[in-house]
Amino acid sequence: MVKLTTNFGDIIIELNAEKAPITVANFLNYVEKGFYDGVIFHRVIKDFMIQGGGFDTNMKQKATDATIKNEADNGLSNDKYTLAMARTMVPDSASAQFFINVKDNDFLNFTAPTSQGWGYCVFGKVVEGMDIVDKIKAVPTTSRAGHQDVPVEPVIIEKAVVVA
Amino acid sequence: MTTWIISDLHLCAQRPAVTQAFLHWLHTEVATTDALYILGDFVEVWVGDDILSDPQHGAEFVPIVQALRALSERDVQLYLMHGNRDFLIGEHFARACGLQLLPDPTLLTFGSTRVLLSHGDALCTDDVAYQQFRAQVRSSQWQQAFLAQPLSARLAFAEQARSQSAENKSKYGMDIMDVNSTAVTTLLREYDYPEVLLHGHTHRPGRHPLTVDGHQCERVVLGDWHDTAVVANINHTSCELQTLTLSNTIPSR
Repeated sequence: MVKLTTNFGDIIIELNAEKAPITVANFLNYVEKGFYDGVIFHRVIKDFMIQGGGFDTNMKQKATDATIKNEADNGLSNDKYTLAMARTMVPDSASAQFFINVKDNDFLNFTAPTSQGWGYCVFGKVVEGMDIVDKIKAVPTTSRAGHQDVPVEPVIIEKAVVVA
Repeated sequence: MTTWIISDLHLCAQRPAVTQAFLHWLHTEVATTDALYILGDFVEVWVGDDILSDPQHGAEFVPIVQALRALSERDVQLYLMHGNRDFLIGEHFARACGLQLLPDPTLLTFGSTRVLLSHGDALCTDDVAYQQFRAQVRSSQWQQAFLAQPLSARLAFAEQARSQSAENKSKYGMDIMDVNSTAVTTLLREYDYPEVLLHGHTHRPGRHPLTVDGHQCERVVLGDWHDTAVVANINHTSCELQTLTLSNTIPSR
């Protein structure tokens, strides 16, 4: 499990290494090297998801490691409070950014191994701190540094650590 | 019959995600279509086709050349027009990619719709300093003298141009003004009022209907490739702008 200590409270995440081995190993690698410490949730949409793991508090994007293979065909769904990897339009392009679904987002699930159908890989779920996720999804947002839906007051991951 | 028209990719080693997205898009969307037109600023900087054979500086272009070559061998017609960043792209690069260089502007016909293609920088006539620079660097005399310099000197010149202070930004077309409406009208008149003028350069994607001498025309502007890209898809019946997601932004649908 991984604990995200945010300025709104702690979120405990249970990872599914059995269903998403590459994605979990990738996430743990970023956690263990402190990549997420001081990184923000930069895109917050209250009836969709909260996305973070890529930008610092100045909205500067952090350099990431290589992109990973998309494991969205693992049978896990983008249900409320699950954790999934963000990516570009290229299916195998996830690196560090992830998001927490704040409702069931079925349309993000794998449907076919095609450009349009690959979907977004779920690799964990929130097991404690759902109330913290609910608080974060409700923060006021604005446009900043060319990005929309950026929290007015930064939502900061102060520390991400592996916990037993 | 489907044709894609794009511009302002500004491909460079510093933005690998854009190159990755472009190659993916070629493979998934363009491979099964008829033609791809690139309306300039395909790459961020180009100092001469001999860069392709330079092991250090040419490596980043290898996958791009290979991908375009593969498309041309599948009978996708490829065309490239010069922009203000890549006006030194020459026949050697064109042959390596299997593409044809196009003059700016170029008039195409799709069904009953005439589409005039341009990069767009020549329409930004309010930017006098840039137009003077453009006239200079587009002359064959300047280009021959520049290309006669060693590659290292040309790369140094390009680096210097990039790191110029803000005062020189417009001179090199880096701080981009919008098009001048009189220049647009003059061009449309010169080409007998094509239904569509399609260009890039300004990084201000959008559609602008206008009437010139009683003729209905539309100026359609492509977008540059950064977090998103705005590209055009043309067939016999329509000209649509589409937005591609290049950043890690999950589409909210």
